[in-house]
Amino acid sequence: MLEQAFEALKVYDWGTDPKVLQPINAAIIESHGNEDARQELESRLTAILASDTPRDAKDFVCRKLMLIGTETSVPALAKLLPSQDESHMARYALERMPCDAAGDALRAALGNVEPAVQVGIISSLGARGDEKSVAQIGELVSSNDAAVATAAARALGAIGTADAAKALAENQASSDQAKMAATDASFACAESLLAHGKKAEAVAIYKAYIGSDQPKHIRTAATRGMLASAK
Amino acid sequence: MGKHTNPNRRDFMKTASTAIALPYVITSSALGDAERPPASDRIVMGGIGIGNMGRGDLGAFLGRSDVQYVAVSDVRTNPRKQAQGRVDKHYNNKDCTDYNDFRELLAREDIDAVHVATPDHWHAIMVIEACRHGKDVYCQKPETLTLREGPLMVDAARRYGRVVSGGSQRVLQDYRGVVDKCWGGEHGEIKSINVNVNPLSQACNLPAENVPADIDWDLWLGPAPWAPYNSKRCDGNFGTSGGSWRSYIDYSGGGMTDWGAHHFGGATFAVDVREMQPEEIILQDDGKWLSFRFSNGLLIHHNKPNTGNLAVEGTNVKREAKPVPTYKGSGGIYGDFIECVKTRERPFRDIELAVNSVALSHLGTIAYRLNRSLTWDADQQQFPNDEEANRMLDRARREPWQL
Repeated sequence: MLEQAFEALKVYDWGTDPKVLQPINAAIIESHGNEDARQELESRLTAILASDTPRDAKDFVCRKLMLIGTETSVPALAKLLPSQDESHMARYALERMPCDAAGDALRAALGNVEPAVQVGIISSLGARGDEKSVAQIGELVSSNDAAVATAAARALGAIGTADAAKALAENQASSDQAKMAATDASFACAESLLAHGKKAEAVAIYKAYIGSDQPKHIRTAATRGMLASAK
Repeated sequence: MGKHTNPNRRDFMKTASTAIALPYVITSSALGDAERPPASDRIVMGGIGIGNMGRGDLGAFLGRSDVQYVAVSDVRTNPRKQAQGRVDKHYNNKDCTDYNDFRELLAREDIDAVHVATPDHWHAIMVIEACRHGKDVYCQKPETLTLREGPLMVDAARRYGRVVSGGSQRVLQDYRGVVDKCWGGEHGEIKSINVNVNPLSQACNLPAENVPADIDWDLWLGPAPWAPYNSKRCDGNFGTSGGSWRSYIDYSGGGMTDWGAHHFGGATFAVDVREMQPEEIILQDDGKWLSFRFSNGLLIHHNKPNTGNLAVEGTNVKREAKPVPTYKGSGGIYGDFIECVKTRERPFRDIELAVNSVALSHLGTIAYRLNRSLTWDADQQQFPNDEEANRMLDRARREPWQL
């Protein structure tokens, strides 16, 4: 049944009953705790990515590698990152894979892709809390591409470290959309700093947003933060 | 991965949210007449997602004299225009603006609050974005699609001091009898309660169809993986066994979250664990059903055989009654939200309580899919030492969308 499923996977396309792949799903669940079986499955799935199979088949593979992917499948996934059609599903796996190689691959791709795809890679690095990418992402906050700049600001907020806060302060966003994202990200960083006892650093961030030139809800957030810092 | 699970940060957010209760002056540019409250007392609202549930929400808010409804957003032209027409007819004017892209609605400075009734895969992004724009939010249930989304939605609400209400009217209304007995002490010390709900969502691999002219398919998909248009993929009917977005894993948790939001919401309310999440998810009888165990020893069962929905097991030694929390204001859960927008109190289904109850749906789903019991650390928002389960806490969003 598993062999039949892998054969079906090679030609899997939209319109095919997903039940034909159920043996693969079952094998993955059953392989929990059995490293050899899991590696075998990962290798077979990864091979599909390098072959001439429909996009839907590769999407299925990425969904499975999200659960079982390791360093083994990172190179094949990384090759998909520059493609507008395939990048998201490659990230579907890479973003959730805890191995360092996944983060390395995302970082390596960051400067080598079109802006539309770069936005996704930035967000995945943010979701991973990837501190190593703070400097790279920080520079992108001042990108002329509003979507890239916005994604970069939000990713720094997700990472939330003192370095991320510094990168937000040092790289100025230009579009309204990116500025709003940078404000929110700064608050997120301030909250993290405060949670780690770095009150002075947090207060410095909040102070920048309590002026009367700020929208009411921003002043509210900054004031709440300052009061919490004072406790 | 991510810094939002830091327990110290969770404590900070709780401190920050109680540190200050700023007055909120409601302003509105809407006009009115002698029978309606003055503009300064009316909440200016817009709606995002005007399908089956969205129409109901729109009607509830539109019917209130203390709301001025000014905008609708939907990626489908026909429902959007119909909703716009309905609002204009109600006010006998042409003031309602319609938007394909919800971001344009959120950018309006005159809008105080929004209601969100899109498919589930959009809820977190829209709620968080609304908070960032200074809006209060009423969000349909289930409020989350993944476990990671919940804390981020709560963070956004607390950061900006927003009123964010989840959307299950059934928690207080449909299950009132169970709630009253539990809070009234009739069951004695409660040991367990059961929830019957099904199914989990499933993969969708429907064939491609031509995209109709009246839907922005790319925006309908939003953060979900790209897939070709198919009318059954995006159909908003209430089925959860195929032929509707509620059935499919990229947009919904299936019945487990769709009705689970109601039933787990009712169960957690009845046994008073809304402010907690379970510590253990125990698969029973080869995965046929499961139990959530809370730190106080209480169990919430899921699909326990031969057990009714919201059936309670207790010591049956009568205990002292506790007052039952209820809605503020008048007009059910909608009135509760509007009252809280005015007073800045937390609503009955405050987003944190909503997130906690929907978490049971997600935790149970992960246990069933992995076919094993799990432990859960609510402070860290992680499955301790369980890399495989932790991969399922979230899913990468399609660019350009991110939380």
